[in-house]
This record gives sequence, C-alpha cells and structure tokens, in this order.
Amino acid sequence: MANIAGIDLGTTFSGLAILNSVGRPEIVPNADGERLTPSAIFFDEENSQIIRVGIEAVNSRYLNAQRSVRWIKRYMGDGDYRRNINGKEWTPVELSSLILKKLKQDCSAERGEIREAVISVPAHFDEVRRKATMDAGTMAGLNVIGIVNEPVAAALYYATTREICGKVLVYDLGGGTFDVTIMDVRGHNMEIICSQGDHALGGVDFDAEILKMLEQVYKEKFDTELITSDEDRAKYEDEAEDIKKTLSRRKVAKKMLYGPAGNVKTEITREAFEQAISSLIARTDILLEVALEEARIEPSEVDKVLLVGGSTRIPLVQKNLKKRFGFAPETTVNVDECVALGAALHAGLTMLRERPDAVPAGISSGLKDINLTDVCNHSYGTICAPIDKKTGRRVIENRIILKKNTPLPCESTQMFYTMSEGQREVEVTITQGEDTAVEYVNKIATHRFKLPPGRQARCPIKVTYSYDVNQRMHCKFEDVQSDRVLEVDFSLDQNGAISESDVSQKAGELEALKVE
Amino acid sequence: MVRRKAASSQQAYNSADGSAEGLNCCVQLTKQPDKGAVVDVFVVQICGSIRAPSDTYRAVVRVLITDVTDGMSAVRSVHSRVEQWQMRDSPAFCYETDLGKIPNTAIILSDWMIVARLRLDWLTFPRKGKRNLQFTTSILSGQSGEELARGAYTIAYENSEFGYIDLQENIEQARTLTVALAFAVSAADNKLYNCEVELIKNWARGNIDFSKASNRAERKLEKALNKTVGFFRDGNQIDVCRICKEIVEMVPIAVRYDILDLCLHVAQANGVATAEELCLLKDLASWLEVGMDRFREMVGKILPVSMHQVKDLEFVLGVNPDMGKNETLQRLSKEYRKWNARVTNSDPQIRKQADNMLDFIAKARSECVA
Repeated sequence: MANIAGIDLGTTFSGLAILNSVGRPEIVPNADGERLTPSAIFFDEENSQIIRVGIEAVNSRYLNAQRSVRWIKRYMGDGDYRRNINGKEWTPVELSSLILKKLKQDCSAERGEIREAVISVPAHFDEVRRKATMDAGTMAGLNVIGIVNEPVAAALYYATTREICGKVLVYDLGGGTFDVTIMDVRGHNMEIICSQGDHALGGVDFDAEILKMLEQVYKEKFDTELITSDEDRAKYEDEAEDIKKTLSRRKVAKKMLYGPAGNVKTEITREAFEQAISSLIARTDILLEVALEEARIEPSEVDKVLLVGGSTRIPLVQKNLKKRFGFAPETTVNVDECVALGAALHAGLTMLRERPDAVPAGISSGLKDINLTDVCNHSYGTICAPIDKKTGRRVIENRIILKKNTPLPCESTQMFYTMSEGQREVEVTITQGEDTAVEYVNKIATHRFKLPPGRQARCPIKVTYSYDVNQRMHCKFEDVQSDRVLEVDFSLDQNGAISESDVSQKAGELEALKVE
Repeated sequence: MVRRKAASSQQAYNSADGSAEGLNCCVQLTKQPDKGAVVDVFVVQICGSIRAPSDTYRAVVRVLITDVTDGMSAVRSVHSRVEQWQMRDSPAFCYETDLGKIPNTAIILSDWMIVARLRLDWLTFPRKGKRNLQFTTSILSGQSGEELARGAYTIAYENSEFGYIDLQENIEQARTLTVALAFAVSAADNKLYNCEVELIKNWARGNIDFSKASNRAERKLEKALNKTVGFFRDGNQIDVCRICKEIVEMVPIAVRYDILDLCLHVAQANGVATAEELCLLKDLASWLEVGMDRFREMVGKILPVSMHQVKDLEFVLGVNPDMGKNETLQRLSKEYRKWNARVTNSDPQIRKQADNMLDFIAKARSECVA
C-alpha cells in the first residue's frame, strides 16, 4: 500500500512526514536533501511550463520578483486574491497546490508513492480556508483524508514521543500565523480544551519590523530610499529574516546595506528589535490570555508549555512565557518539524478509523493506544428575528447553536418559531462565527424550508446541529407540528466555493506543469 | 346567586353594560410575584350565566381591552407589546385561553372566577395620564368561535408612560430635533461638507412627516433645511445637551438609537471623522443615554477606526484613564476576542477593519503594560 503522510503546509516552510512500518512518523527530505522546503514559487522565465518551488524559488526572487510568490498561505480562502503570471490568474489554492505537488513528487521519489495525506492548518482557519487547503491537496494529486489543526498535530507528536501529563499549552508561533491550544494529556489520551488563533501574526511580521528599521537607517544616512524595486524588497526581506535569526543567537546583528546612494554598515541590537516588535508580542500575550480564559485555567495550572514554529526561537518569546508560567517552555523537539510529524500520526489515526483494513498491521499496532478528542473549531448558528427586549423592535441576529471549543462529537438543539400566520416557508441560514450581528458572521449555507399551509404564527421549528469526529457537520430543521424535516450535511470536501469537478479539472491542468 | 364584587380603590366605577349578556365581569389591578420580581397585573374575573349548545361543551375565554376615556364614540384600542396577545391583523390586545368544558347547557357561576391575569407591562395605552379602560370578556365556542356570553367592565387607570399616540407625536417632534443634532455634528469641525448636508436633507425628506403631503409642505421643509444650513454655516451653535435631554424625555431608546445612527453616518460621510466630531458624538451618546457598549457597537459598524482622525482609546475600546491595569487588560482582551473572530469575515472591508482593530488593541496593550 501507499504511504500514509502528514503535510505541514506552512507560510514560510513546508514539510512532509510519513509513518514508518511501526507507525512512527519520519520526515522525508526533498530532492535537495532538505527536511523542509521553502513555501516559495517561481515561474520560469524561459519555459512557462516549468515552475520552481523551494530554495531555488527563494533565490530567483532577487532576479525577477514579479514571477515569484511567497507567503501564499496568508491568502488562502481569499476569493478576491489573484496573481497574474503569464496571463493566467493564479488563485491561492492553485499556488498552494504547486507547493504540495513539489512535496509529493520529491518524497514519492524518495520513499514510494505518497497518496493518502492529512494536511495541517492553523487552528483558527475557518471552513472556507480548510476547504481551500483540501482542494489544493486534491489538485496536487493527493487523497486528502483529513485536516488537522497545527497545534493539535504538534501536541500529538510531543505526547507520543515524550512523557507528558496534565494541562499542556501548545504555543505555535510560525512563519505567518499564531495559535494557542490548551489540552489535557493523560499518556496517549489527549483532550483538546480550546484553541485560539491569530491569522496574521508570525515570522514575516517580525521580519517586516526589521525591514522597517533597515529602511529607516538608510533614509537617515542618505536621505533616500534603500528599496527601489520589488527585487530589492525580496532581497532585503530575506536579509531581515537573517538578522532576526541572528538576534535569536546573539545580542547584535551587523549588516551592510547596499543602496542606490551608497553603502552603510548597520547594527541592530536585540533590544531595539524587541522594542520594535512589542506590539506584536502584545498580540501574542492577549491571545494567550484569551485562551487561558476560554479554558478557565490560571497560568499556574498549566503543567507544560510546548513550543512549535520557528518564531518561538525569539528569546523574548521564551522569556515572556517563562515569566508568565514560572517555568521554561519545552524545546526538546524540532519546532519546525513537529507539525508534519504529528500530521502523519493524525493521518494514521484517520485511516484506522475510516479504513482500518488498509492500514498495515505494524502501523496499526503502533497507533492503537492513541486517543485524541478534538473540539469544534468555530461556533455555528443560524439567523433568526427575535424582538429586541430593550427597543421592542424586531431585529435580525445570529444565534449560536454549536459553540466553539465544544468537544467532538457534539450535538445541540434550539427551538425557533415561525413569525407570521400562514407562513409557507422559512429561510434557514447556517452561519459560522462568534458574533450576534449578522454582518460579522459568515453564511455557509442557505436553504428554503417549505411549511404546510394554513397555520398560526409561532409554530415551533426545532434546529439541531451535530458535529462528528471527522469534522462533518449535520444540520437538521424540524417542523414540530408536521414532522417535516430539512437535513443539511457538511463535510470539508463539500461546502466550499469550488465544486469537485472544478477541482478535478484544475488538477488536470496542473498535471501538465513541471514542478521542480 | 350572582354577587357583584365590591370595587377596589383602583376601580373608579363599574360599567353600565356589565350584565348585558348574563355574564358579569370584574377587573382589579393588583401586584403579584413573578420570577423574583413583583409585577402589576389586571385580574379579570367573571360570574353569572353561560349558555352552551350542548353538555360538556369546550369553551374559550377572550379578553379585549379598549380605551374609552374620550367616550364610546372615540374608542381607541389598547396595544399588546407581546406578539402572542395581539390580534391577527393589528397590534390591538386580544387575550385568549382555554376555559375547559362547560358541563351543562346552562351554567350559573355563583362565585367570581378568575379567568385571566394580564400583566400591565404587556399593554400600551393610547395616551399618558388618566385612562378609562373597558375590559370585554367573552366566552366563545371552542369549535366555531361563536360568542356564548359576554360581560364588560370599565376601570380607571393612571398611565405614567407615554401612550402610542403620544409617542408618535413625540417621534415626529424628535425627528425635527434630530436634524438640528445632525447639523451640529456636521458643523463640529467648523466645516459643513456638501455630502454631509445632502445626507441630512435626504434623511429629513424621508423621515419628517408628510402626512399632509403637499408641495407647500415640502417647500416649507426645504426652506427650513436651507435656513438651518445657513445658521450653521454662519458659525452659530445650538445647545446640544439641552436638545438631547428634551429628546430623552420624549422618545424611547429605539428612537435615540436612530438619532445616533444618523449622526454617525454624518460623521462618516466625508471619509474622515475629525476629533471635534468624535468628541461631540461621544457626548451625544452620553446625553441621549445610549449605553457606551451599544454606542461602540454602532461606531464599529458605521465609523471604522481607520476613519478616526484621532484614535481615542475610550471612544474605540472603552478603556478610560480611571481603569486599573487589570481592568484595562481585561477590556482589551474582550475587544481582541471580538475583533479576532472577525478577521476571516467574507467581506474584505470587515476583514480590513478587524485587522486595524487588532493592531490598535495590541498597541494599546503594549502601552498599558509599559
């Protein structure tokens, strides 16, 4: 049988791990022998059929930034984002699929066919972004059997390779996103308590602050701009990243700036860097507090803090965590690889649950004791029109039925009522979001529920949402008097904007392209 | 034996038609406990005779209330605030409940029987002040709806709240004052932009009553609007605080929300809300007695922080200098939680606004901790 794989599709780096014969996850290096592949794409200038992914794409940015793409994960699920290259409008899903194709291709050459895979996503990704990620995998020729939250994947790996017990906080500060997950771990039994995430907070934001400092130094020295082209920007973005990495090891980083008005040597101290990123760090602190509040625990009740993501190497991050929790966070495993490794474990568990016969005995035996209880990633509700108690007016509002962070599987029911006499239908809308105000939640489906004629107002409609361990949601609308029922099923492979046939068609188009 | 219950102190007089159909009705205003609170309730009782077409006949009791203060020739309905007790086609109060089965074709209730307890807060009267309310209690056939018996009773009641007619009149008056407030917001920075003026004029055209619609009335409104524009363009000012207090006396909170809504749209019209406009808006919210949380919610929807010339922590996040550090951090966490849930909204403008707010909150926190 083909390998069971886990993929960390990261903002700056991506990685792939497979389960070995005894169910242990292993990173599979790419064609360059690297364990991680930069999530960068470059469209060859000479041959439009060749697309470079990885370190070569990063370096090619300095030569022609217009034909390169980085940090595409930040745009995942954004229906408005397009990148025009060679007259083709590339979507984030298509661009991400090129990265996945590269991983699949390189790792298949190394370790045999990669087909069944779980891809990791930030915990805060909504259904649209999760669906977009799955579509990217399908376009790359993968059979995406599931999606796992990055901190959950990391914790899964930690918990199966280290002795961990008690309340564990996973602090995942990656290249572009930040997640905090709190879980209860008892040996190989893991219960997620809550997850909170910030969609635009990660290494690239820290790099951007350093880049601003470099630009300011140059401007002060020569009264002219350091960066005059996209290629310059690409180069200095990477220089800024280098400086950040240096400042994680040393107190000062030195760099020569080569600009249009001359050269200047600059020094950036760790202190100045920490000052520059203070508001970003404040954002991590708030999210941490929100997660602790959500889990209803004090910092003193946390037994272990696990670090995930390259940005956790920043000394200020570790110092802050130590100060808050009173002990140093766990840094014993490779923070860049643990998500892919955990995703592979998750893929194994998913296969065991859904297609146990297809899992080799060795892997099955290696995974048999692992038990993971996940939670609902978002709140789901419906739109209703109650009377506002304060104003006496009818208002349109979102009513949450399934609350975020409810352990899976879960089910919740609420009763609603028809509004007018002789009402023949109800427009039922399924929403995702935490707000009461309808403009702040996303409508993920709308249906018309037909009702019998000739009835009074205020006939009860029973609404039940349930969510299973495979992240499939089932919504049931019941007209209590007539027993009429409308049922709506969602799964990650159904509810997105792109239809299955579109995905297949695009997969066919990408097949023809050569990814190197 | 039919006994008539003695009138209580709230019962000014009995109706003349109390036993017209063989059924007597009596109403008392009393207090009764309800979910830990004490509420005023009209207790409706009946006695007398009821005739049914057959034995064990299912019956329904219905209570209607009308306001007869101005005599029987000018009867006005009493409205129900509760949808359940409204008539099918109007907000008029109509209470119905199952009376059970009448055992015999002719039954005489010799003792008073309570058939309804009607909460005072369910009702809206036509006007404030002393009202004469007529309660008409009918016994109806549970099958056909045919009236089997009826009794009426009139009670005097002192209504301390505005009635729905008062409110309508007050709302019309408040709308005129709203125009003045909206112009005051527009002129707060000493500049009346045309887009702001047009917005206010359009609002006035759509909201100030044209029930006697005539070209003359419209011309009169246009003239008044232009005169007001001239007044503010000349640098004159109005006593905004006094007007707000007047409005608070006149209209309920819902109408005050509408006023603030217009003023926020005026401040938003030219794309930038100046410090003076923001300051006046904050005062308006306070003087109109709109809660600050609700006000900030409205600001979030109408006047995003990117439009604020000055980013005021209290205005945007509800953080004020009197708060201690912990309270400030809790407030910021609450705001962060709210806006962080909106960053993946399908509307790009809301996403952008949420991003701006998260940055703003982070900076505020960073300063607070420092």
